[in-house]
Amino acid sequence: MLAFITRRFLFMFVVVFGVSVLIFSILMTFSPERRAAVYVRSPQQAQNLPQLVESLGLNDPFYIQYFRWVKELTHFNLGYSVVAARPVWDAFKSFLPVTLELNLYSVPIMIIVGIWLGTISGIYHDTYIDHITRIFAIIFWSLPTFLFALILLMIFYGYFEVFSPGIISDAYSVYIHDNPDKYTQYTHLLTIDGILNGRFDIAWDAAKHLFLPVVTQVMVIIALLLRVMRSSMIEETSKDYIMTARAKGADKKTINFKHARKNALIPVVTVAGWLAAFSMSGSIEVEVIFTRQGLGWWLANAAIQLDIPVIMAMCMFMGIIIVTANLAVDILYAYIDPRIRLS
Amino acid sequence: MPKLIQAEDVVTNFYTYEGVVKALNKVGLVVDHGATFGLVGESGCGKSVMVRSMMRIVQEPGQIEGGKVVLFFNGDQQQEAVDLLQQSEAYMEDLRGNHISMIFQEPNAALNPIMSIGDQISESFLFHRKKEMSKKILEDLSADDCRVFLPLKKLQQTLYTIAADNPKSFILIICSKIPILSLWQRRLKREALQRSIDIIRKLSISNPSETVHRYPHNLSGGMKQRIVIAIALACHPMLLIADEATSNLDVTIQAQILELLKDLKKTEIASILLITHDLGIVAETCDRVGVMYAGNLCEVADVEKLFQNPQHPYTKALLESVPKFSQEGRLRSIDGAVPNLVSPPSGCRFHPRCSHAMEICKQTFPEEIEIEENHMVACHLYVK
Ligand SMILES: Nc1ncnc2c1ncn2[C@@H]1O[C@H](COP(=O)(O)OP(=O)(O)OP(=O)(O)O)[C@@H](O)[C@H]1O
Ligand SMILES: [Mg+2]
Repeated sequence: MLAFITRRFLFMFVVVFGVSVLIFSILMTFSPERRAAVYVRSPQQAQNLPQLVESLGLNDPFYIQYFRWVKELTHFNLGYSVVAARPVWDAFKSFLPVTLELNLYSVPIMIIVGIWLGTISGIYHDTYIDHITRIFAIIFWSLPTFLFALILLMIFYGYFEVFSPGIISDAYSVYIHDNPDKYTQYTHLLTIDGILNGRFDIAWDAAKHLFLPVVTQVMVIIALLLRVMRSSMIEETSKDYIMTARAKGADKKTINFKHARKNALIPVVTVAGWLAAFSMSGSIEVEVIFTRQGLGWWLANAAIQLDIPVIMAMCMFMGIIIVTANLAVDILYAYIDPRIRLS
Repeated sequence: MPKLIQAEDVVTNFYTYEGVVKALNKVGLVVDHGATFGLVGESGCGKSVMVRSMMRIVQEPGQIEGGKVVLFFNGDQQQEAVDLLQQSEAYMEDLRGNHISMIFQEPNAALNPIMSIGDQISESFLFHRKKEMSKKILEDLSADDCRVFLPLKKLQQTLYTIAADNPKSFILIICSKIPILSLWQRRLKREALQRSIDIIRKLSISNPSETVHRYPHNLSGGMKQRIVIAIALACHPMLLIADEATSNLDVTIQAQILELLKDLKKTEIASILLITHDLGIVAETCDRVGVMYAGNLCEVADVEKLFQNPQHPYTKALLESVPKFSQEGRLRSIDGAVPNLVSPPSGCRFHPRCSHAMEICKQTFPEEIEIEENHMVACHLYVK
């Protein structure tokens, strides 16, 4: 098992290297002048573009530029973000907690609820419970996320005025910013910091702002996971070993939950891992619609303004997240399935 | 010989999108105490459905819709006869694997791929032998050489006393759900594992104490089939149903498994119900044979009688289609195809393929008659 994890871990570095080369190659398709323009801050500089290209070494061979870039990367020197008006790394550090907080709630909810509903729906397939969950799944699966988000906003913000967009109410935001001595930001996650500081009102306010984004993000993915889990469950319950278990005298609960579900989870783990990774690497639609200034929001704006250093950094980040999720999935796989463990 | 199990007029239908598959049309059979009963017939004639109906494990969308399956616990005495089709599901769960077990055709698929061999065999004991095992553990606990931290010992003794009394007790279920308290089951699991090792040792599997920690994919087909047999035998069932248990194994392994079943029948189990395509196996191992065709039982007789003096036209045709060394010319096969069970032929289901078919065969279903002692035939050629 340990050897397996080590091997996987080393493999992860190879993949990250590959991702970085790929991202850098895409960057290199821009002309040197175009890339130099990123560093231009004043009209005079713009006139000296050829010199700038020269001084930054943008005409150097690919591998030299690549290693220079990697060297900068290891010092967290990722360039300057025009959108955030800050160095990329600083901006990243301030946007990350917002996305992290959203996913801290949505990822466990979508995985647990998705798998649970899928199991139930698979066990009771073709009964009314199954029909209801399936109608639910089809609706949310086919409804575009942005539309669903807008509907929710319309109802709960526009009509009932209970949940508002943003991250936290302005008053609290100012308070947190102005009182670093009274209010410590341990984790930069608003709900958790609120509780840790004993300010439950702040935590509650942040939670209220989180509600609609979490619901939006979770629904679509639950619908997807539910479908995968349901079909996997139906497939497993018709297999021969289930018949062996029944002939042994196993009760329904043991058959469904001990035998079938564990086997049914094997394909679902992969899907769940990917979905979690994707939602981690920035939930663009949700963050833009609910104006939560997290990574997804940042990336969307960077893409509009062609803020290249941001796009590169985010690609790298997504690559790392996905590779890590893959590793987690592989380990989980090996834990569930003994056939993987040995090969 | 006293009867062990008697099925009467069992009707099982499958409700599929294509229509109702009438898989069993009033099938009855009797397995005697100590006998080996062979069930033969073409593929799709309903052999598996029949034995699954007897255990009430017909898979969806199948439904058992009529008949009786009477199990005689104590010889022929009527007061101990139980109609399984009338019992609750909980009663059946108690019975399966305990009094009646089944082994399956495909050993590669019959084991749960992600559970260790030991866990899979242990389950049988944990389902059916909790009381007995708890009693044994209690004895072990009260033995002098048992060194356990005293309060812990008291707790274990209390819990195992409850388990020895009523394994499905509410308190135990709660305890099993609470993380640390659930450790009380450790001794039970260890005991079950020990028993699993003992049982697979009996099936001449080398290195049993190591095998229990392995997973199905580490074992060969013959080995897996032995494990499947071990699961079925764990609780010394009265009846072992072997549904083509050897069909997918190669010939030498097949012979070993059959030999094993024969031996086990002498020592461990009362009766065997053997389903097979291979008439050679029937001739070698069975005392009585039933021949099925398209959801009906056409003929039942003792082995010698059936082979020497087959009466039903289908049985005759079936026996003629077996290759023999002395035979010259082409092998005889039965003309026509197995009927579709969604809309089976009227009357006798065999009449479209039968060379003796008469007018009455198309109209009425033939009653089963006893043409000589213990030899039943369902065919209009014979009259009472
Ligand atoms: N799950 C099912 N759904 C629909 N029909 C079924 C199902 N299982 C069995 N049947 C029908 O029941 C009939 C009997 O099937 P069964 O499996 O008992 O045959 P068998 O005699 O055991 O054949 P084999 O020798 O191939 O194992 C078949 O005609 C089949 O179409
Ligand atoms: Mg069969």
